[in-house]
Amino acid sequence: MARIVILIAVIVLILGGLFFVLRPDTPSGAPRDRSFDLNIEGGEMRPAEISVNEGDRVMLRVSTDKPIKFRMHGYDIEREVEPGRAAKLHFEADITGRFEIEDHESETELGVLQVRPR
Amino acid sequence: MKTRRVAAAALVFSLFLADAHPALAHGFGPTYDIPIPLWLYLYGAAAAVVLAFIPLALFSRKERDAAYRYPRFDLFRVRPLRTLLTSRLLTGGLRLLSVALFFVVVIAGLVGLQSGFNIAPTFVWVTWLVGLSFFTALVGNLWPLVNPWKVIFDSAEGLLRRLGLRDGLELGAPYPEALGIWPAVGLYLVFVWTENVFSGSYAPRNIALFALAYTLITLYGMAFFGKETWLRLGEVFSVFFGLLGRFAPTEVRVKDPDVCLGCDYCDGEAGRCVNCYECFARATAAERELNLRPPAVGLALPERVPPGGAAFVIVVLAGVTFDGLLQTPLWLEIVRLTPITQTLGAILLPLLFFGIYLGFVELSRILGGGGEGGFRRFAAAYAFSLVPIAIAYQMAHYYTYLLIQGQMIISLVSDPLGWGWDLFGTADFEPRYGIVGAGVVWYSQVALIVVGHVLAVYLAHSISLRLLRDPVRAFRSQLPMLVLMVLYTITSLWILAQPIVK
Repeated sequence: MARIVILIAVIVLILGGLFFVLRPDTPSGAPRDRSFDLNIEGGEMRPAEISVNEGDRVMLRVSTDKPIKFRMHGYDIEREVEPGRAAKLHFEADITGRFEIEDHESETELGVLQVRPR
Repeated sequence: MKTRRVAAAALVFSLFLADAHPALAHGFGPTYDIPIPLWLYLYGAAAAVVLAFIPLALFSRKERDAAYRYPRFDLFRVRPLRTLLTSRLLTGGLRLLSVALFFVVVIAGLVGLQSGFNIAPTFVWVTWLVGLSFFTALVGNLWPLVNPWKVIFDSAEGLLRRLGLRDGLELGAPYPEALGIWPAVGLYLVFVWTENVFSGSYAPRNIALFALAYTLITLYGMAFFGKETWLRLGEVFSVFFGLLGRFAPTEVRVKDPDVCLGCDYCDGEAGRCVNCYECFARATAAERELNLRPPAVGLALPERVPPGGAAFVIVVLAGVTFDGLLQTPLWLEIVRLTPITQTLGAILLPLLFFGIYLGFVELSRILGGGGEGGFRRFAAAYAFSLVPIAIAYQMAHYYTYLLIQGQMIISLVSDPLGWGWDLFGTADFEPRYGIVGAGVVWYSQVALIVVGHVLAVYLAHSISLRLLRDPVRAFRSQLPMLVLMVLYTITSLWILAQPIVK
């Protein structure tokens, strides 16, 4: 019995120590204001991936070469965007995860929004 | 026989046709998980290696196998529970609900809206496949009770008997013993392919057609070989949920050995009729037990494993891994650079897993100094120890999916066909995202996989004590098994750490 207790204690020590050594610092500082210009051309969005941290206030400027229904999963944001008139979208990144961005009109995937936890 | 050959040929043909557009194959509905970060992946791998010593140490002094001596509590001893759980209203109601849902899925698939609102894809791929798998592993196996094909067969047979046909539906053709559980292995491979490779797997009409085709196969199998034989060896979902049910913290047991006379599968003589649903169905109320037990112990029980039993476990493990592998950049490269297609992958991966498994079992047997029964017995016995790894990976991979996509069913029950109905007033329900934050998802995924790994190591060791009957030899035989488990576990973690690609 004593042997098992010692073994468990050693394992807890090793794993606990490893956890603190390996775990990186969380994204530092307070939530920031982030803004992105998204260009959709020929069904492709540039950049295709937006990565922000939890709590950031995000502003997207979306321009397109043909009319689309810009839709972002998770945050359930949907906006019709016309060519020649960039649309501005604001939201606070309070849900963590990886969310699809699609054109709800043609049901094609444009890219992803990745919100990393703090 | 002829019809079967034609069906098989048609299936093979359709496999190649469908593989012509592998572009968007995987899955149904998006998942919202971020891949686990590298440091956590490394941490999980380290934890898997270090924690494996606990089960090894626990066993080092134990003399004999204690597979049957685990604490259990008979729920039927609690009178109100017994009344509730054995009431006709509950069991009959569940069976009726199951058959009703089966018909709803088929009807929705055939005549419901084909793009957009339709209950068939969500119910089949999320609620039933993922939801019922989790329920079976975490609570208990309901499938023998609610299996719609069994209920349909039973009612058809009851009707025939009432009409004066004494023999019922069963032709009772002899089942070739060597065939064992291989029909279920084959059907499971087809199922994995349908789920992951076939690009039309979530089109409602295809789901209905697959369900109807499978209904034909199952009813035919039950009529031809006998209901019990086919349910145990050929009906792939009975085999699948039965496997998960061995992990479950509940079991059904028959006390009276007389009930098990003539049963080929349970060890009834020694009062060891555990989760033998056929015997349970035959037993009278006084002979039945519904026990709570520690999870996973059912996988260590010595049982007669039919031919193909180990292959089935490997196919399940490879199947869940394949699902994750398809979304990794590595897989994309493999498909781009080699002639391997998605379909070929669905066949090659289980073969690779099986080969690795058999190799390590043989190594373990040699290190343990051989043993009675030879290689086959060892290969069959150890397979069950891998089940916790498969379950843990399945849960880590799917639980957020179930939590988020599963909510869709709330609105779909009100409008199953997409015809604008609102039967229960829930048609406008909007799913809520972000129920679990990404950080919690990471830690729980790694924790699940590591726990599954530790259980697997524990089970393998317990099985080795049974096979070798000597603690020192058993300990030695476990070194290769340990490496095997670590290998599988690190693969699972690695997949969860990969960037997701489409």
